[in-house]
Amino acid sequence: MKVVISGLGVVMPGAWGWDEAESLFSAADPKPVDIDRSAGYHREGGSRKALLVDSGRMGEWLSPMAARRMSQASRFAVCASLMAFHDAGLKPQSEEGTTAVVMGTTYGAAFVTEKILRQILLEGPESVSPALFTESVANAPAAQIALAVGAKGANTTVTQRQASVIAALKQGVGLLMRGVADRVLVGVVDEMAPLLHSILDRFGGLARPEHNGAEVGRPFDARGSGWMGADGAAVTLLEPEDIVRRRGGSFRARVLGAGMAFDPGAPRSGWGTVPGPRAKALRAFLVENAVSPRVIDRVVCSAGGLPEADRLEARMIREVLGDGSLPPVLAPAASVGNHGAALLAGSVLAAAGATFGPTPGFGVPDREAGIIPHDGRTLPAPETVLMTVCAPGGSAGWALMARGLEV
Amino acid sequence: MTQQELIRERLKKLIIESLNLEGMTPEMIENDAPLFGDGLGLDSVDALELVVALEKEFSIRIEGEETTREAFASVSAMAAFIDGLNE
Amino acid sequence: MKVVITGIGAVSGFGWGVEKLWRGLESGATSIREPSVFDVEGQRTTLVAEVGPPGPDAQAEIDDLRNLSRADVFAVIAAREALVRAGVDAGGPRTGVFCGGSTAGMAECEDFVGRIVGVHPGKPTLRLLASQQLNGPGDAVARDIGACGPVIGFSSACASGAMALGAALEAVRSGDVDMALAGGADSLCRLTYSGFNALRSVDPGVCRPFRRERQGLSLGEGAGMLVLEPLDRAVARGAEPLAELAGYGASCDAYHMTAPHPKGDGALAAMKAALRDAGLESLDVGAVNAHGTGTPHNDQSESCALRRLLGERALEVPLTAPKGALGHVLGAAGALEAVASVLALECGTIFPTAGSTPADPDFGIDLVLDEGREMFRGKQTWISTNFAFGGANAALVIRGLV
Repeated sequence: MKVVISGLGVVMPGAWGWDEAESLFSAADPKPVDIDRSAGYHREGGSRKALLVDSGRMGEWLSPMAARRMSQASRFAVCASLMAFHDAGLKPQSEEGTTAVVMGTTYGAAFVTEKILRQILLEGPESVSPALFTESVANAPAAQIALAVGAKGANTTVTQRQASVIAALKQGVGLLMRGVADRVLVGVVDEMAPLLHSILDRFGGLARPEHNGAEVGRPFDARGSGWMGADGAAVTLLEPEDIVRRRGGSFRARVLGAGMAFDPGAPRSGWGTVPGPRAKALRAFLVENAVSPRVIDRVVCSAGGLPEADRLEARMIREVLGDGSLPPVLAPAASVGNHGAALLAGSVLAAAGATFGPTPGFGVPDREAGIIPHDGRTLPAPETVLMTVCAPGGSAGWALMARGLEV
Repeated sequence: MTQQELIRERLKKLIIESLNLEGMTPEMIENDAPLFGDGLGLDSVDALELVVALEKEFSIRIEGEETTREAFASVSAMAAFIDGLNE
Repeated sequence: MKVVITGIGAVSGFGWGVEKLWRGLESGATSIREPSVFDVEGQRTTLVAEVGPPGPDAQAEIDDLRNLSRADVFAVIAAREALVRAGVDAGGPRTGVFCGGSTAGMAECEDFVGRIVGVHPGKPTLRLLASQQLNGPGDAVARDIGACGPVIGFSSACASGAMALGAALEAVRSGDVDMALAGGADSLCRLTYSGFNALRSVDPGVCRPFRRERQGLSLGEGAGMLVLEPLDRAVARGAEPLAELAGYGASCDAYHMTAPHPKGDGALAAMKAALRDAGLESLDVGAVNAHGTGTPHNDQSESCALRRLLGERALEVPLTAPKGALGHVLGAAGALEAVASVLALECGTIFPTAGSTPADPDFGIDLVLDEGREMFRGKQTWISTNFAFGGANAALVIRGLV
C-alpha cells in the first residue's frame, strides 16, 4: 500500500495554512516576539523572545464557544486538523470509514500545567480548576481533534521529544498498512509557555541575546547559541494512494517510510558528539527502504541553532550521505522555531516543490558542523526528501517523502 | 440595585469569566434561564468549575451533587443558594 | 507470527517485584491506604496505592539510580526484573522500548516550581527537571539496557500502557525489532491527585469497581514491564514463553472530554478490534481484566460494552477488576494489569477483585471475589481493557500457551 499526504494544516508563527507557510519559508524572515516574563521565572541576561503563533486567527476555524475549554495546544491542533481536511478536499464529520488520530508532542500541555501547579502551590489543591485538568493530559489535543472531526478510530499520543513527529508518522503509517483506519491525522503540537521558556533557557537551550538585543536561531552557524523557542501545530492527513486517486483527489506528498533509533550512550539531556550509532541506523533505514543516499536530493533537518545538536545532526547526515555530495539542506526551524511542526510542514512543502528562501540566521559556517544550509538559490523540485531529527537524550528519527500529485 | 440584583450581576460575570464564555456579556444571561442542558448548554465539568469559582469568590464550601444540581439550575437559584449559605 | 511474552516485571502498591504483586492480588487484599510519603495535605481524599520502600537488597540497586525520577526508577527496576525472567541480554539495534506514562518526572517538577515561586525550601536546581519529560522512563530503560532500536513514549492518560504494548506488538510483528521492552510507569504527583479530586472523581474510601456503592477511583503508582519476542526466536534461544500477546485494538469515543460514551460504543469497538487482530471472536473470551476504575460513569458504560460483546455469555465469563487492589496507576495501568493477566495465566487462577461486596446486579457481570477462580491451564484468553480521559480506548488480548 502506498501512503500519501492528501492534506496539510499548519498553525505556525507567521503562517496559518499552506499558502502562508509557503510564503513564510520563501521570505525566510522570522519575527520573534517578547515572551511574557511577568511571573518572574526568567533569569537575567537570558533569552526573552520566542516565535509565537498569532492566535487571533483562530476564529477562522474555531468559534470561541467551541474553543472555550481548550488549551492552546488543543486549539492549534484542532485548527490544523480542520485545515488538513479542507486541504484534502474532505469534510470532517461526514466522511465514511474510520478516521484515526496520532499526535506527537515534545512538552505536552505547558500552559495548563503551569497554571495548575501555581493553583496548587499558591492557593491549595482545592483551587485546582477541573476544566484545566482535563486539558493537562498530553492526549487532550488528540481527543479534541477526535471530537471536532468525528474520528472514532485509534487515538494515540506519542511523546519522544523532538523525535515525536517521526514516532507519530511511523504509528500513523502503521495504522493504514494494517487496515485499521481509512485515513489518519498525523501531527505534532507544542506550546511555549513562560515557565517552559525559562526552563529551556536555564538549560542553555535557547538563543541568547546578541549584541544588538536580537535573538536568532542560527543553524550550522558559528555564532549559534541556541534554538528559538516556538509554539504551533502541523497536522497531515494520511491516506492510501488508491483511495485518493479513486475520488479524483490530489496529494501533496508521498510517505515512503519512517524509522527511529536510539543511542544509549548519549547524555540524558544532550546529544553527545558521537554520530556513529545514529548514522548506522539511518544507513540501515535507507537500505531497508531501497533508497540509495545518492538519490536523495533534499534534506530537511531539525537543526535550529543549538551547536551541540546541530553538530551531531550534521555529522550524522554527512556520514550517511557523503561529504562531497550533499544535496541542499533545509533547516525550517530557522524560520519557525524549534518544534516538530517546523520539520513536518517544512518536509511536506519541500516534497511538494515549494520554494525555500535563504536560511535565516545563517552566515558564518560552523566548521565543526560542516554543513552549509540552503542559500535560497532556485532549485528544481526534489524527487526524494529525507527528513531527519536528532533529539536530546539519544533518540533520532527520519522519514522519506516524495513528490505528490497535483490534479 | 438590590442586594439580590448585585449578587446576580456578580454571578453572571463569574460564570462568563470562569467558564471562558468569550463574547458573552452579563446582559445576555437571563436570571431564570436554565444554565445546564438546554439554555446556556453547560455540562458537568462546567458545574465543577463553577463550584471552585464560587467557593473562591464567596468564601463558602459547597458539598454534594444534589445540592449543586438544584442550586445551579439558574442564576436566580444560585443567588438564592448563596444568600442562604450566608445566613 | 505469534508474539510471546517471555519476561515480566512489576512495581506496585504491594511492593517491588511480581511475586509481591501476585501475592497481593491473589489474596484479595488492597494496597490502597494512607500514604507514608505522598503529601495529601489539603486534598479532598487521602488514600493512595503508594509504592512502599523496597527491601534492603533492592534499596542498594535503587540508590544507584539516584539521578532518575521516581517514575524512571519504577520503569528501570521493572524492566530489569522482566529481562532476568526472560533470561536474555537485551540491547542493540534490534531491541526497542515502548513505554507509557502520564506523569514522568512531574513530582520532581512540582518541587522545582514550588521552589521557584518560593513555597518550597531550597534552590530550584535543574537536576529536578532532568527527567521531567514524558518520555523519561522509556529513555531510562533504553539507556539501562543499551537499546538502539526505536524508543517511543506514549502518553494517552489511562490507556498509555496498553498503547505501548500495542505498538510493541506491531513492531515485533513487522520485524522492526526482534525484541521489545514494553510497559508503563507513573508516580504519584500532586497535579494528578488534585486534578482528579477537582473533578470529584476520587472515592473517599477504597475504590469499589462495579459495585452499586462505588463513588470514584483511587489513585496509585507503579510500573509494569514485559519482554515481547517472536515465538520462534524465543523457542530457538531456549526461553520459556509465559503467554501470548495475541491482539491489540483501539478506538476513540469522540463523545466528551471526560465522560465515556454511555453505551460503551468506543469500548466495544476497541475490544472487537483487539479480538479481530488476534484472529478470535467474542466466544473465545475466557476472562476479562476490566478497566473498572470505580467511577459511576466508567463502570456503567464498561459493563454495558461487555454485555454487548459477550451477549448471553456475559454472566459466564469471569471478570476481575485489579484497580480495587492496585489503584489506578494511570499511564502504567495497561501494562501493570497485563502483567497481572500473565501471572494469572501462569498460576491458573483468576485473581479476585479486592473487597467482598458483590457487583451491582444490574451490570450482568460475573465479578470474581474472595478466593479467586480456577482457570484451566492452557488456552485461556484474557481481554484487558483500558479507557482513557478524552475517550481513547485500548484493549489487549492475552492468551495462555498450551
